[in-house]
Amino acid sequence: MPATTVDHSRSSRYAYLICAAAWALPGAGHLWLGRRQKGLVFLVTLPLMFVFGLWLEGRLFPFELTQPLVALAAFADIGLGVPYFVAKAMGAGAGRVIAQTFEYGNAFLIVAGLLNMLVVLDAFDVAQGRK
Amino acid sequence: MTTHLGVMAVFAFFVSVVFATLMRDDPAEQFRFGARLFGGLVGGGVLAGWLLYPLPF
Repeated sequence: MPATTVDHSRSSRYAYLICAAAWALPGAGHLWLGRRQKGLVFLVTLPLMFVFGLWLEGRLFPFELTQPLVALAAFADIGLGVPYFVAKAMGAGAGRVIAQTFEYGNAFLIVAGLLNMLVVLDAFDVAQGRK
Repeated sequence: MTTHLGVMAVFAFFVSVVFATLMRDDPAEQFRFGARLFGGLVGGGVLAGWLLYPLPF
């Protein structure tokens, strides 16, 4: 195998590993890449936004493929990585539909996950040397 | 804190911080961009609220 192909596959593997870390813990990808300021901002802001969503009695949606919108919301929720699984394990995120803040909470939870997906893509770009 | 305006402001704050950090590298530029984004989100929300106010439904 030529050296450039080996380097390319190694750098791709490295970039995907960074993406996995960035997904699992918000900001971890940037911290790994030495972008400390950005990493710390993501590490604090995104889990805080997630906790705020839980406090507002939002729901961590289940994967129900029979209800496509619920499945999409679940996909967005899971975008935050480990904090999602910790919250699920602790029994948080049951959601109280009659709470005044239920929809607000959902918006916080879903958007926190989606923002972390953008952060993962940014970490991928940085790892590939595009930024 | 749990008023409509309060929650909207907190939401706009989080979104502004993340987008400003993602899209700008220099901290001073991040602050300026984030402040503009925050103002736009909150101002846009208030404006949209007033524009929808006369609607009967």
